[in-house]
Amino acid sequence: MAPSKKISLSEEDLVLALKSRETIAVQALYDMYSGALLGVISRIVLQQEIAEDLLQETFVKIWNSAEQYDASKGRLFTWMMNIARNLAIDKVRSKDFRNTSKNQDIENNVDFIDAQSKVTFNADILGLKDLVTALKPEFKHVLDMVYFKGYTHVEAAEELDLPLGTVKTRIRMAIMELRKNFN
Amino acid sequence: MEEVRAYIESGILELYVLGQLSAEEQGEVEGMAAKYAEIRKEIEAIEIAMETYAISNAVLPSEGLDLKVLSAIESLKTPEETLSPVMQVPDKTIAAPIQTPLVTVAKDSRIRSLRIALAACAALLLISLVALYSAHHELSEAQNQILALNKQNQSFAATVGYMKQNTADLQKLADMPADPNWKTVKLAGTKMDPSAKMVVYWHTTGKHVMVDNSKMALPANDQNHQYQLWALVNGKPVDLGVFDVKPDTSHILINMKEISGAQAFAVTLEKRGGSVSPTMNQMIVMGGVSI
Repeated sequence: MAPSKKISLSEEDLVLALKSRETIAVQALYDMYSGALLGVISRIVLQQEIAEDLLQETFVKIWNSAEQYDASKGRLFTWMMNIARNLAIDKVRSKDFRNTSKNQDIENNVDFIDAQSKVTFNADILGLKDLVTALKPEFKHVLDMVYFKGYTHVEAAEELDLPLGTVKTRIRMAIMELRKNFN
Repeated sequence: MEEVRAYIESGILELYVLGQLSAEEQGEVEGMAAKYAEIRKEIEAIEIAMETYAISNAVLPSEGLDLKVLSAIESLKTPEETLSPVMQVPDKTIAAPIQTPLVTVAKDSRIRSLRIALAACAALLLISLVALYSAHHELSEAQNQILALNKQNQSFAATVGYMKQNTADLQKLADMPADPNWKTVKLAGTKMDPSAKMVVYWHTTGKHVMVDNSKMALPANDQNHQYQLWALVNGKPVDLGVFDVKPDTSHILINMKEISGAQAFAVTLEKRGGSVSPTMNQMIVMGGVSI
């Protein structure tokens, strides 16, 4: 995709177009968010082919349930991101997926993906990775478990053998740190 | 406002954005957000942070996936939607999952293509049947031709055999005058049938006796009787065998039994197979041997 072809719309226009079932909304969503959504899916499902199938499924689900999106309850991306993550988690927990024994421990996914250097950074926020990695490791770890690896915060607390309150605090601190960096 | 601050600092809004809350807790957060603009703003700030975090961790999809996704969406559209002048995606290879109205559309086109396939199958079956019938027809025709040719061949062979025999007989007849030992004995009709006559050839040293069919003028015998040739040797009749007279006799010469010496030959009509001694009143022809 040449950058000139990319479509970018304001969030209001996007939602309007999506709800009136105009294909251009999907084109815009794809151009703006396919990488971010695939980034989330890829950290839960390692196989690129399956991850991309799930990305397609995500867009189909976005299209089919556009009516259910309520802008007053949150941003469009948050809603799409949750669709993508839930599809990926459902896939990982499905019987047929677990039967393909090649799957790596979900725990290692982030490092694995990063090691494969498949992570591509948005040009607009070049250098951001440094800021993100500057997050305190224990904060980042908890956030990534919940945001990228499909753990619930309860599961993360059990896994890390931390009180639930501590996990919640660390997630909040990590996000606070991100907000500081992104502003 | 102390309550709002505490609520924000509890970390529940982060969990809300991360999709970690139960439906009940979600409703609670949404209620708070509707009530307090500050909470709404806080949620949005968290969302934007997470959005940016996700974008900074983006993984680029393979090239061409956009077309697959768009064509999947395109195939999900209802017919009226497809009419709208939105960009058409050429690649339609991706099948559309779920969504009720579309399934019927997909089903319709599947039924249509199944119908076409069925019609094609029926047409093929018809063509095969016609081809089979015509092949069968041609085969039986060929078989008939083979039978006819075979018959023709057999009759041809029979004709050739007959002609060979004829030629051999004629050759024998042609050779006879050159050999003084061949005697031609003409037998004339008796009072039983004055018009009857026949010719016997006798080789005096070789003892061969032959009847000439071509020079025979005897009435045809029936199924129960046969003509019997006799040689008169010193006044006694000696049996030389039986023969038939039929209108369609194929041989010119008929070989009879051998005899070394004879003064005359005679033919009587006897019961089929011949008799031990001639029935004198049934003698039809007779002739003496001229020295």
